[in-house]
Amino acid sequence: MNIRIYSWGLLVVLIGGWEAFTRLSGLSSLVIPTPSAVVEVLWGGLTIGYLWPHIWITTIEMLLGLSLGCGIGFLCGVLLEENGFLRRLLWPYIIASQVVPKLALGPLFIVWFGFGMTSTVVITALICFFPLLENTLTGLHHIDPQKRELFRMLGATRLQALLRLKIPSGLPVIMAGVRVAVVLALVGAVVGEFIGGRSGLGASIIAAQGMMDSSLMFALFIIITLLGMIFYQATIVLERWLLSNHLKGSDP
Amino acid sequence: MSFVAIDGASFAYQGGGDVVDRVDWTIGEGEFHCLVGRSGCGKTTLLKIAAGLLPPTQGSVHIQGLEVRAPKSQIGFVFQTPTLLDWLTVMDNVLLPVSLKRAVRPGDRDKMSELLSLMGLDGLTARHPFELSGGQQSRVAIARALITEPLVLLMDEPFAALDAITREELQDDLLHLCDMRKTTVLFVTHDIAEAIYLGDRVAVMEQGRIRHDQIVDLARPRDHDVRFSAAFNAQCLEVRKAMNNPVTEKSTP
Repeated sequence: MNIRIYSWGLLVVLIGGWEAFTRLSGLSSLVIPTPSAVVEVLWGGLTIGYLWPHIWITTIEMLLGLSLGCGIGFLCGVLLEENGFLRRLLWPYIIASQVVPKLALGPLFIVWFGFGMTSTVVITALICFFPLLENTLTGLHHIDPQKRELFRMLGATRLQALLRLKIPSGLPVIMAGVRVAVVLALVGAVVGEFIGGRSGLGASIIAAQGMMDSSLMFALFIIITLLGMIFYQATIVLERWLLSNHLKGSDP
Repeated sequence: MSFVAIDGASFAYQGGGDVVDRVDWTIGEGEFHCLVGRSGCGKTTLLKIAAGLLPPTQGSVHIQGLEVRAPKSQIGFVFQTPTLLDWLTVMDNVLLPVSLKRAVRPGDRDKMSELLSLMGLDGLTARHPFELSGGQQSRVAIARALITEPLVLLMDEPFAALDAITREELQDDLLHLCDMRKTTVLFVTHDIAEAIYLGDRVAVMEQGRIRHDQIVDLARPRDHDVRFSAAFNAQCLEVRKAMNNPVTEKSTP
């Protein structure tokens, strides 16, 4: 596609402009490093290998937090949708807990779980929990009433209606929640590390800040961005695969 | 003894007036009855009572002498929309009533193939509902309702969304199928010509009550020529006049 070429061209222009600006403006490299310096740091970090453990840790934290948060969020969504009493009972609390900025709980988690991976995973899971809960509830709730009646007419049990009607029908909405959760999981993991991490990409940013190494900070931004894009693309592939039957015959 | 017997069935939503008001109706075995009425006259509600989907506030429904209190497998229901599951193939959609009860056997697949070819859907078993036209989707929905070989088929305006030609084709196929299997049918529609073409007997419903009861004595099997005959038009006119009931005209704002 032509537009792809223009997209890449724009990137080249932006980076070239950045390089030219930093070289010509005489700003200190502490404020804005040149792209070439950033690439040099990035390349060094990857080839010498000191960045890899951090990438690995952030990835693990993100994956753990994402799967815990999504799993629990989905199960709670199913439970609340199936049990109207529980839903009405807990709804105000769910709203209240959703409004609480989860990252503000970081210091408390450090008190509970100590510095390191556990608190970051818990924060990430908590952030991923709500989009899944909300989208599962919405997805399972908005089922064509005639299809509900069809399942009643066919004598389906509640479990059958859940597994064979509600979850498959709600899957597109649930997967949209997963996509939101993936983006939030990266924010959760990185910011969680800002607060209580010893290692990982977020902790490395704080360390680079301490050394006023802005080239390293930019290098880390690039890695985080790439990590996010890989995860997002993987989610889209997963979604296409899960929804392949939903989408057959229509243009995805 | 009547096959389907509705005795004094009433239904009211909480805090509202009667949507269905003391309806008596009987259908003999293998007969095809049509229920006509304007939107909101209670015909769909009556059908749902007959299906066991709604409990009547008064009265009862019996099928073969047994009271209907909940949906039963001997009753097939076809909804206003095809209500096919998008993520299943045509084959799995048709077999859904079976697979919800037990594992699907080779005999079920044979029955499915037979039904689909009777409905003119050969070669479409692996398709998904998205890939079918509206008429084909309605055909799949009818095949699904018939896979369990129900004694009674209840249909709620199943062809309302189709174009006139497709609707006529489906009407002919439906008549053919029901005639073959001696299925007893209660068919709800707002289309008078459809009711006369399909029905042995037509009831006109208004404000929850049956206002008019008409026996359609047109010879069977019926074909397209019947639609243009004087007898057919006379039957339609009679139903149309019954629907012009002065009682409603006064009470509608």
